[in-house]
Amino acid sequence: MKNIITTLLLLLLTTLAATAQPNCLVYKNEGDMKKYEACEKCSELAGHYQFSKEFQEKLDEVLEIDSTFAWAYRAKSVAYLKSGDFIRWKELMDKAVQYDPENMLGYRGWCRFQFFRDYEGAIADLEELDKLVDYDIGYSVTGEYHLKIAMAICYRSIGEKEKAIKLIEEQIGNEKHFAGLYDYLHLGSLYLEVGEFERSIEALEKQINENDMAEVHYYLGMNYYRMSMVRSDYQRGLAEKEKALNEFIKAKELYTSGKRMRDGYSHPVDKVFLEEIELQIENLESL
Amino acid sequence: MKNLIVLVIILLSCIWLYSCDEAPKKDKYLRWVGDIEQNDKLDDPNFKVCNGENGEFQYFNLSNGPQYLGEKPKIERLFKEEFQLDTLEGQSGWLRVRFIVNCEGKAGRYRLLEADQNYKAFDFDEEISSSLFEITKSIESWPIQYKDENPIDYYYYLTFKLKDGQIQEILP
Repeated sequence: MKNIITTLLLLLLTTLAATAQPNCLVYKNEGDMKKYEACEKCSELAGHYQFSKEFQEKLDEVLEIDSTFAWAYRAKSVAYLKSGDFIRWKELMDKAVQYDPENMLGYRGWCRFQFFRDYEGAIADLEELDKLVDYDIGYSVTGEYHLKIAMAICYRSIGEKEKAIKLIEEQIGNEKHFAGLYDYLHLGSLYLEVGEFERSIEALEKQINENDMAEVHYYLGMNYYRMSMVRSDYQRGLAEKEKALNEFIKAKELYTSGKRMRDGYSHPVDKVFLEEIELQIENLESL
Repeated sequence: MKNLIVLVIILLSCIWLYSCDEAPKKDKYLRWVGDIEQNDKLDDPNFKVCNGENGEFQYFNLSNGPQYLGEKPKIERLFKEEFQLDTLEGQSGWLRVRFIVNCEGKAGRYRLLEADQNYKAFDFDEEISSSLFEITKSIESWPIQYKDENPIDYYYYLTFKLKDGQIQEILP
């Protein structure tokens, strides 16, 4: 529970930091009066929806003051991202990255993963950021993922599973790491994919303590089921099949009560659907 | 010759400096980014929004995440069964079909957007784009979404990530 609260607080802070206007005084203190003026103009955005004509036009005025103000490009890009206009979104974010790579690469990389499943593009951005800064590359704009974990999921998706496991283990092992909402779930699912069942179960059980949900029990069930298939000891295999069935039943219970992976914009990696859970229950019950 | 090279370098530098400082491209905006206006040449005249023009929401406004009747695997099966084209090298990138779902769960005003792997505008092979467009249009019903118990009209889209003419992922 403590970890979930920490994660939620982190999520809130990350979201606020990501959407809040920059501190304009920073530019003034640096003597960059053009950027200061552009930044101050952003206060006029208050009350306008990010999709609206007024919001976009106001940002165009901001960019007329200073066409190198990265924050304004990013703010403009959000509506295009969310409406799936990958072309205009990328044009705007490329500008943002051009003028402020340190603060924009992490965001662009995350969006390439979350919205477009552009794994190679996301890896390129996040690795560039990692090379550019000598501090922690931070969390996704949603606050749910450390960007190293997101990078690992991208590596996994292009088939580099061992590299993905190494990245997650290193990140989770870092004493400064705040556990994300799904870190151990992804690790458990990865171990399952490479056939390391014991390690997978260990990771998934840790996930139960962090944040329990249907997916955890689905993958636990898959572990027990696959273990049962390679057992020469019939009784042991039977016991594992029973464990698998119980996990799938628990997964269904949690799924139908709403305790499952969620994302407001897309389906998260490793999400399972009701029919997949029911199929496993049906298979095992028919044995 | 040496002078010519110097001149070319100076000219290129000027162009480059100008392009770096040029004012950003100005968009023309409708009420909201991505709004789709009725086009009688393209759109089914029988398709109506229920809550008036400019009353549409975005699919994520209600915080329910992406919604599909029968959940996403049903949509993935549909495209697996219906989209049966051979591998076509170089046909890679993203193709989005965006549309409005009305208060009855019916969809209309479909629009296509296509980009290559570098997010640059790109025309996919006609067979690919028309097939994905038509299969999307063939989906008869979408979930009805409610705000304050009233059924709403909302924008939704399917984005296909394509590699060599084959669907790799369907988003969102």
